[in-house]
Amino acid sequence: MRNLLHDMNPSVKFVLVTVSMLALAFFFNPWTPLLFWLGILLLQLTMSRTKWKLWLLFMLPFSIGAFGYLWTTVVFGADTGGTVIWSFAGIDVTDEQWARALSLALRVMAFSTLSLLFAFTTDPVKFIMSLMQQLKLSPKMAYGIMVGYQFLPVMKDEFTQIQQAQRLRGAEMKKYSWQRLLEMRRILIPMLAGAVRKAERSAFAMEARGFTGEPRSAYYRPVRIGRTDIWMSGVFLVILLASCIGGSWLS
Amino acid sequence: MPEEIFSLTDLSFRFPEDDEKTLTSISFSVEQGERLVISGPSGCGKSTLLYLLNRLYPDNCDGLVDGEIRLFGKSADEYAPGEINHRIATVFQDPDSQFCMPTVEEELAFTLENLHAPLAEMEPRITTVLEVTGLSHLRHSVIQSLSGGMKQRVATACALIMDPEVLLLDEPLSHLDPYTAKQFVEWLEELQQQSNLTIVAVEHRLDSWGTFFGREIQMGCNGAIDADHPFIPRLPVSFPERQSSCQSEVALQTEKLSVTIKDRQLLAPVSFSVSRGEVVVIAGPNGSGKSTLAKSLCGIYKRTTGKVESDGIGYVPQSPEYLFLTQSVQQEVAFSGASTPFELTQLMDSLRLEEIQKAHPFAISHGQKRRVAIAAMLADKRPVLLMDEPTSGQDTAALLELFALIDQRAKEGATFLIITHDMEFAASLADSVLLIKDGEMTGKFAAKDVWQNDKLLEQHHLLAPKGVSRLAESFA
Repeated sequence: MRNLLHDMNPSVKFVLVTVSMLALAFFFNPWTPLLFWLGILLLQLTMSRTKWKLWLLFMLPFSIGAFGYLWTTVVFGADTGGTVIWSFAGIDVTDEQWARALSLALRVMAFSTLSLLFAFTTDPVKFIMSLMQQLKLSPKMAYGIMVGYQFLPVMKDEFTQIQQAQRLRGAEMKKYSWQRLLEMRRILIPMLAGAVRKAERSAFAMEARGFTGEPRSAYYRPVRIGRTDIWMSGVFLVILLASCIGGSWLS
Repeated sequence: MPEEIFSLTDLSFRFPEDDEKTLTSISFSVEQGERLVISGPSGCGKSTLLYLLNRLYPDNCDGLVDGEIRLFGKSADEYAPGEINHRIATVFQDPDSQFCMPTVEEELAFTLENLHAPLAEMEPRITTVLEVTGLSHLRHSVIQSLSGGMKQRVATACALIMDPEVLLLDEPLSHLDPYTAKQFVEWLEELQQQSNLTIVAVEHRLDSWGTFFGREIQMGCNGAIDADHPFIPRLPVSFPERQSSCQSEVALQTEKLSVTIKDRQLLAPVSFSVSRGEVVVIAGPNGSGKSTLAKSLCGIYKRTTGKVESDGIGYVPQSPEYLFLTQSVQQEVAFSGASTPFELTQLMDSLRLEEIQKAHPFAISHGQKRRVAIAAMLADKRPVLLMDEPTSGQDTAALLELFALIDQRAKEGATFLIITHDMEFAASLADSVLLIKDGEMTGKFAAKDVWQNDKLLEQHHLLAPKGVSRLAESFA
């Protein structure tokens, strides 16, 4: 049960997430995103092995964003008419304004939770392989991304090494973050120079092993679509339909 | 008569952006089962020649080829892209950029998928090649977590899984330390005897290869063949004799220096002192804490306990360009502002940087970059210099230049602490050797005592410098 979301075919999951987001975009009532959001949370609570502490940390910026939407729409939103339900400090809040603000904020929550569900339950390597096998991503692109992914830890090491070396030279840490951002180019230039060299070497190594970018005829570890995927697609669609219909009915 | 594998007739090659030819009038042929090495100084075009043999060039660089290359009796142009690569496999020099999949098994499978091998064949082929290469225990290991030597073996396994007739090696040892390199060569020797592969390698440091090769083609700086003869085993680069330049003054004194990061002790307390003008070599197995010691000495890592007293410690990383912050050599040396213009001129003069003072620090040669880094450190009033692996990937000329540079600066009062695996280099330079193992200092020894002590060397994964071992044998 706890593995279901992890075991899904990444491409199927990706398509489901995209479809859900597109569908939600057509509903402007606050109930649909709320129901959907709760549904997704329930799904993730019961069918995944999520590290919830980390999840909360990731949700923090989205929650602040959602609150920002709520606030700005309530206070600065265009006057849409409707009855005033609430008023303070000379600001009148009408029920329509409130509904729209809630809808926007909940939509941010629903979208971010859905994205995090995908990110937390999908292995990037398997995702790329699945994109190539199910959604016909070209092998050139797919393996290109794979090489980049292998480079990430190496690049991180290099970054710290350059930073350490430059700090030793007396390149002091700037006070403001925008200044620090500008200083980054000093680190990025040597890194880019190295990355271009590495990229060429990798390309040569792949070509020397017979990689031409043509579609392959057999996969050693095929990423398949199985019964779990059909089952889970059903669950996803039920949540989506229920929240669409339920939301329209409630409002 | 053995089958002819490669045959080159009057070959010349030019990169489209260059005016001069990289290779000129190259003619030779290679027969099956040969072990050939192509040697020559850095930049003589030997790697280019190798890439012409496995068809990476000329297509990837739009290079201009004259003359004829025949691979397995067929003209090179007649092969479709990728067609030749399963008969001619290649292992490259950089262990970090040869892989695109996370684990060893997946990487091998990637190679088989490229060849359009049927699924039923993949599993047995992977098992077989792992058995042949003795890597079965690494089947599910993550490649990036392996050591450099193991990565090169995995790269070789990936080449062998294609059942090639020829194995091309592009300086496969240049990123390995001598101890690991020796093991790699012995391993390759065994493999070659089992399979009777044809091996063509490009290499500039031949001493690590012992008697592996049967034939050598020497190339000159002009991109032509200088000599083609049976291989003679080489002795390592012989460095000139050196007089110790130790002075009585102490330049660096540490007491109970230790480093603990995130509850892990990377370095147990060490105490030692170094005199002015002394050259100390820091040696020990990979991951034993050499770099940690260096970085904590010069202040990159925070010391957990202990203190360091010194005249100012500078650090030259393996890639000196990591240090560079400005647009010209002149500015780079003057960056800290700690030296007067007169001192700067003197320093630039003695390190031969006058002629390149306007050049961009990224656009100069590796040796020049290192001189700029040293000048910058000295100008910053850091007369104790730590060098991290300065010998890695250097050819003979570069090593001799490095030797002369260190020798001269030491005479002028600079103090050197050098991290290196290259014991020939160490033996020629070092006044003393600081051995480290598992984050603990074994001790600081007088250099000549270490080379005779086989047990000490073995414990720290070091090979006795060849010059010294010969001496020991002749005594016995």
